Amino acid sequence: MSLVEVTFRAMLGRRRTLLMLLLAALPVLVAVLARAGGARLDDGLTAILELGVRTVLPLTALVFGVSALGAELDDGTIVFILAKPIPRWQVAAAKTFVAGALAAALSVGSTLLSGLVIAGLDPTGLATTVASALAVALAAFAYAALFVALSVVTGRALFVGLVYTLVWEGVLAGLLPGTRAFSIREATLTVAAALAPVGAGIDGDIELGQAVLLLAIVLAASLAVTTSRLGGYEVRGTE
Amino acid sequence: MTAPTAARASDSTVSVENVSRWYGNVVAVNDISFAIGRGITGLLGPNGAGKSTLLHLMAGLLRPSAGSVRVLGAPAWRNPSMYRSIGLVPEREAVHSFLTGRQFVALNARLQRLSQPDAATAAALRTVDLEAAADRPVGTYSKGMRQRVKLAGALVHDPQILLLDEPFNGMDPRQRLHMTELLRRMAEEGRTILFSSHILEEVERLADSVLVVYAGRLAASGDFRQIRRLMIDRPHTFNVRSSDDRRLAAALLGDASVFGVNLVDGRLAVSTSEFGAFARVLPRIARDAAISLYELTPTDDSLESVFAYLVRR
Repeated sequence: MSLVEVTFRAMLGRRRTLLMLLLAALPVLVAVLARAGGARLDDGLTAILELGVRTVLPLTALVFGVSALGAELDDGTIVFILAKPIPRWQVAAAKTFVAGALAAALSVGSTLLSGLVIAGLDPTGLATTVASALAVALAAFAYAALFVALSVVTGRALFVGLVYTLVWEGVLAGLLPGTRAFSIREATLTVAAALAPVGAGIDGDIELGQAVLLLAIVLAASLAVTTSRLGGYEVRGTE
Repeated sequence: MTAPTAARASDSTVSVENVSRWYGNVVAVNDISFAIGRGITGLLGPNGAGKSTLLHLMAGLLRPSAGSVRVLGAPAWRNPSMYRSIGLVPEREAVHSFLTGRQFVALNARLQRLSQPDAATAAALRTVDLEAAADRPVGTYSKGMRQRVKLAGALVHDPQILLLDEPFNGMDPRQRLHMTELLRRMAEEGRTILFSSHILEEVERLADSVLVVYAGRLAASGDFRQIRRLMIDRPHTFNVRSSDDRRLAAALLGDASVFGVNLVDGRLAVSTSEFGAFARVLPRIARDAAISLYELTPTDDSLESVFAYLVRR
């Protein structure tokens, strides 16, 4: 039983898994309805893939990210992990990996299924779907790292994470284009656009280099913050 | 009191020097110094006295606001490698409830990077007598079983130092006896064991030396018997009800163990300096004076008052 295995077991609680599966099924359901309603391949596929990037990806990463460490911090079981002679970066990496892997699995699965429903075996549609899935998988780890770090910085990580995804990425990025440079969502779309065939219809508003750099910085900085906070962890609820 | 510390500095495995810990305006631990060495040390104090704070400071899970805590000569704070030598049993009950007892102990063994984690796990489960329930989820365990599985996790790497926060909580008498024997055996093997408790008798039964904490301060430390004597031979006050309180008061004043009597609102309050002596002479004095005793009530016998007395000393 390793730290990664224990974290996987802890994260796959029945209710949480069910909720996340339902969330991941949402774009697939929309795709089925759109297909039944006769949606056009080019517009429909782009809209469905972007729906996954805007909802399933950040929300699954948020839920898994804040609970990977947050649940153990809340109930005090983290003491059994931290009272051990292991470097704190390994704890931060294990928790981030598990949260990222779970968010990636659901988001990638959702992206591939919804893309297949809309595009079928159309070569361009399939290539666009796979490009989106790759970008989503990459971004899942950046999001997860950010939300794991949030959970060790604040007790209101879920709220702060929601504000980031809904307000910063959802509203401000639309109103103030300059904020898109700090949006994981925009970076994801940019990477997807770069990997997709020309004319696939996916738009990213920042440069590819900038997008990759942003994802890398978010991942590295978040891991550094988590490691540092775990290094100075103080037990809660002491008399 | 100015009692000796629990261990000489040269023998100490854990030393606490002028340590304070405060949360905003609340001082949880106030300028405490002591050193502990091999054997069993009891950390005694009422609930909220600062025992858990002190234990967490020693376990490197709290940063001292002032002073320093050293474990085997190295700072306890921000020093993960220290946990090779320490086993910690926290008071909080929460354990990864979805794991079986065996998986929980094996997790501890693997995080300790043991070369043979499965063998160490089996040995630790055997030590705490939990083999029969080892493959059940911890979530189904009783409170006492959780304490034992936490202990198994803490000693799976055979640590030199064991820190246990209220380890007897939730245990039935048989489990307590087993835990007592286990801790004694481990102490005989040369380990340093510190356990906290708010129950005097528990500490008395097990500890070679004791640290008494009250209101964040170290009220006493050293040999338990000396401290126990201080606790017993402090001024005590009793309320007595008898067939003739006034005559009994006069008779009691003639005894050396009584240094004051007070008749207020029909109640006789007796102050004595020696608990044992007073308990012996009272029936004799009453019998000699042909007075019937109806009631004898200590007015300050709570552990809290004992600790408060030690702090004033």
